[in-house]
Amino acid sequence: MSSLSPRLIALAVLAVAFGVCAFVVVLGGAHNTDRGAYAALALAIGWGFTGTGLYVWARRPASNLGPLMCAVGFAGLWKALTFSNDGAIFTIGSLGAVLIYAVLVHLLLSFPSGRLESRLDRGLVAIAYLNTTALQLAGLVFTDPAKSGCAKCPGNALLIERSEAAHVIGAAQIDVAVAVLGAVVAVLYRHWRAGTPGQARAFTPVLAVGSITFALLMTSLVVEQAEASSELARALSLALFASIACLPFAFLGGLLRSRFSQAEAISSLVGQLGDGGGRGALRDALAQALGDRTLELAYWVPDQGVYVDAEGRPMALDPPPPGKLATPIEHEGERIAAIVHAAELAEQPELVQTVGAAAALKLRNERLDAELRAKVAELQASRSRIVEASYEQRRQLERDLHDGAQQRLMALGINLRLIRERIAREPEQATELLDASLHELGEATSELRELARGIHPAVLTNRGLEAALKGLATRSPVPVQVLATPEDRLPLSIEAAVYFVVAEALTNAARYAQAQTVTVSVARRNGQIELEVSDDGVGGADADRGSGLRGLQDRVAALDGRMELTSADGQGTVVRARIPCG
Amino acid sequence: MTKTVLIVDDHPSFRASARRMLEAGGYEVVGEAEDGGGALTAARQLRPQLVLLDVRLPDLDGFEVAKRLLEASGPSPQIVLVSSHDSSDLGEAVGASGASGFVPKSELSAEAIAVLIG
Repeated sequence: MSSLSPRLIALAVLAVAFGVCAFVVVLGGAHNTDRGAYAALALAIGWGFTGTGLYVWARRPASNLGPLMCAVGFAGLWKALTFSNDGAIFTIGSLGAVLIYAVLVHLLLSFPSGRLESRLDRGLVAIAYLNTTALQLAGLVFTDPAKSGCAKCPGNALLIERSEAAHVIGAAQIDVAVAVLGAVVAVLYRHWRAGTPGQARAFTPVLAVGSITFALLMTSLVVEQAEASSELARALSLALFASIACLPFAFLGGLLRSRFSQAEAISSLVGQLGDGGGRGALRDALAQALGDRTLELAYWVPDQGVYVDAEGRPMALDPPPPGKLATPIEHEGERIAAIVHAAELAEQPELVQTVGAAAALKLRNERLDAELRAKVAELQASRSRIVEASYEQRRQLERDLHDGAQQRLMALGINLRLIRERIAREPEQATELLDASLHELGEATSELRELARGIHPAVLTNRGLEAALKGLATRSPVPVQVLATPEDRLPLSIEAAVYFVVAEALTNAARYAQAQTVTVSVARRNGQIELEVSDDGVGGADADRGSGLRGLQDRVAALDGRMELTSADGQGTVVRARIPCG
Repeated sequence: MTKTVLIVDDHPSFRASARRMLEAGGYEVVGEAEDGGGALTAARQLRPQLVLLDVRLPDLDGFEVAKRLLEASGPSPQIVLVSSHDSSDLGEAVGASGASGFVPKSELSAEAIAVLIG
């Protein structure tokens, strides 16, 4: 249990003091019958509601139920002040004499979630407050108690002028109250029917006692209006307050019942967890234990930093879907999953946590499955990207060949045919054409060489990474410093991956980054190759835009490596890759 | 009378060689265009009698350019399609385009064109 805050302790002290005062006032009231019974009932209602209210408040600080229960307790003690023989205290008491009924309506309609869920609920509560405050004050200023059947009552300090208006307003208050109470009983019944099984268990005692209370209140109001026998009114009044005094215990009983049902839910869950069952069995068991058919499980994949469902598909939980909450479940300090449940369950965080803890081991196993599926899905995606990229490379290669060397060779063919025709008659023109043709041939040759290097650099195979990277550096339009390269030869697949990552990074630095210098470093450390290419350009590069880096990411991932890009605007671009190398 | 020709190809070196070849063969090259859009504009302005049209252009494909040239108002030019592809790569599109014929770039000569346009 959480520690009681100073505020709650102060409220408790206030309730005790106010209760003692009210008790004394009621016992001394000269203008009332049944003083002993009412004094006991005032204490029972005041302390009963504030006591249980403070308990609920401390247990569920986020819920309105605790504060509302305390408010009922204080409103009950306020009402007791009408017993006072002192004019001022009597008037204050009369002003708040019926407020307790409005707070009770508010409390019962808020049970068990602590919120007024519908517009109808909010409307009923608003009317109840209006009826017991504004109308009460309006009636009071025209009421002279001494001339309204209470000869021994002290004077009304707020009296302006005795008027028939008091009677009219009082009758209106009663009509409104009867209508509101009738509606409230109907709404309570509907809440009870609509709740989850756990809620229904908590609800039954509250609904029973609450309905009796409101029925007694309605009856006593009707009797009062009909001005029937005072004996009946007296008995009804005592019964009404006795019923109100029972309500806090109904609330406690309800909460206990829901705790029992929680304990049952957990023990039945633990039983089901042992039964094994296929995929989805755990979700079903948790859904049953928490009484939430829409419950979903999200498994944490630490490598990718995402939640996935049982099929390994990513789930977005930040923010959770509308009307849902995600409760993270940990096992031995390690996050393993989240239970995605109806927002109403936020009223019972201990229940969700307890159920989650009971299922943690099983969740951990299922998480491994889900993680595996997520990895398989990622592998399939990267495999198809690699295939796609290789088709794309072939398309590009065909395009480059067609646009480059092939066109030059075609032109060369035309020229040679012209030369053959002219060489005898116009040798000078033929010589000019030959010069032009030789130029075309040179261009075609160098384009073919460049293209071949893009397919696979021969220097890499023949002379190794250092020579190949220096070659890249020499051909780069941006000055490049090669800071480090491994001394020994590496597996060819790794050398090729490193070469192409550096080549792409240098191309990007020259083409987009407006860089002044680029540094390249490749080192073998702790069983892996660490590669870093950084430039001093404009930054703002994105691996997901442009397929070049994305394709290289897949190429590195195919070697169990990871590649990352850091490129904040104006901060230059750093490409880092780590590839395991035994 | 010499025939006027418009050369449409996105490769400058090919255009230069083709111009030399056509002029040597007795044609008058009145203009060059490097893409389909440029070809349609140039044909409207220059009214060439013959268009030497590359199949693979950066914007429109050569068959589409041929279709639009033949649909345009006024006297239609004769069209000879050229490509570095073999005619087997192009299938039936050449016949359907309304062009007078097709010459692979590797076999391009003034005589080959003369045979097609009659």
